[in-house]
Amino acid sequence: MKTKLALMLFTVPALFAAESQWMLDQSTLAYHISHPLHQVDGVSHAARGKGVCNAGECDFLVAVPVKTFNSGDSNRDLHMLQVARGGEFPMVTVRFRLPENAASQTTIHADLEVQFAGQTVTYKQVPFELTIQGNQARVAGTIPAKMSDFKIEPPSLLGIATKNDIPVRVETTWRRM
Amino acid sequence: MNRNPTTRFCALGALVLLIAGLAPAQTADAALSGTVTNPSGAAATNTRVSVKNLASGQTMETQTDASGRYAFTNLPPGDYEVTASPEGAVPKTAKVTLVAGAKQTLNLSVSGNFANPGELSLGDLGFTPQQTTGSAQEQARLNKRSHMLKIHQRLGLITTAPFIATLVVANGAKGPHGAAPGSNASGRELHAALGSVTAGLYITTASFAIFAPKIAGTQTRGPIRLHKALAWIHGPGMILTPVLGALAYQQRSNGEKVHGIAQAHGPVAIVTAAAYGLAILSVSIKF
Repeated sequence: MKTKLALMLFTVPALFAAESQWMLDQSTLAYHISHPLHQVDGVSHAARGKGVCNAGECDFLVAVPVKTFNSGDSNRDLHMLQVARGGEFPMVTVRFRLPENAASQTTIHADLEVQFAGQTVTYKQVPFELTIQGNQARVAGTIPAKMSDFKIEPPSLLGIATKNDIPVRVETTWRRM
Repeated sequence: MNRNPTTRFCALGALVLLIAGLAPAQTADAALSGTVTNPSGAAATNTRVSVKNLASGQTMETQTDASGRYAFTNLPPGDYEVTASPEGAVPKTAKVTLVAGAKQTLNLSVSGNFANPGELSLGDLGFTPQQTTGSAQEQARLNKRSHMLKIHQRLGLITTAPFIATLVVANGAKGPHGAAPGSNASGRELHAALGSVTAGLYITTASFAIFAPKIAGTQTRGPIRLHKALAWIHGPGMILTPVLGALAYQQRSNGEKVHGIAQAHGPVAIVTAAAYGLAILSVSIKF
């Protein structure tokens, strides 16, 4: 009885105190804009992210400055920064929660809460491919974003507006701490 | 117990001061309340809100409730600085003047990331407030820049019409001495008039690009580099061409053959037109 009590005293707090963290090691975030005359990809490698796991759930936050997206043309990037209200809202943040055992799956579905351009939008059950190698996890997928979700007026070229879709390809490598 | 008048006066003064100190304040206090929201309009719960009396420096703090509401009572009238400081996000400050006895409302919208207690914040990712702070002035600068460059783009396209027309009628301006069949004084007038319109539109177009606000920390990359480099050709060309044209016009009007530096009018105009056309093409893929 004493042994059981001692085990409970030591193991139960240990379970609740168990906390692991994930840090974002590498990332490539790329938005794609489509226009009848041109296709544009803006890429950023400047995202930072962290995940904290507790009681079987992991909460993640990924953030990237809007101005770090590079489409190969500084004029276009500044224009994108303007239409996305990047001066007023300089960060894009993505929050999501996953069960800790999601690491055993090859495809995970996450509800993403995206804050961008002064708006908060939730994308439900976005699929991501997951590859685990040692203490690293590679997560890749596409966020099916639309400009109208964030009240962004599609920019135009020669009087023709771009498409409303602005899918964001996400390729990240996480490291368990 | 004989006290001198000075002692009695001091005792009376002390009594008056004591009574004055004990008496309740006669100033009617003010109340301030409001709601703190995030950029999407959602309530910012458990957000620290402070008020600082700008005259006395005295500060009071509270937290927003589940509806994002905060309230302060018993505030002396005066000028205050109100700050909402959400966890992990950028504090928002506003100034308000409280009037005696009044119940005033001040709503605050906080930009940047919002985190509930225990949630990860931008600070946890190593971002500094400078990186995450939004600026209405910066956005206004971006808006003005885009607006001016749109006008630059449209005027630039409009300028091509008189520019091409000037080049087309150039043959009719070569003068009465047989340089070009059909050339005459009216041809020169038309060429000069179209050239003037082109130059005027060009200068206006250029000014919208030159005076558009510059965004600090931006490195020029991509096709815009060629566009800017070509401006060093068509810019001086657009100044030189009318000057040389005026010389040629004068020489022709005097019945002379165009000679000297004025002979460069045509070639300079062609180089200018080529650089201008290339400059338009270089950015025609941008939006």
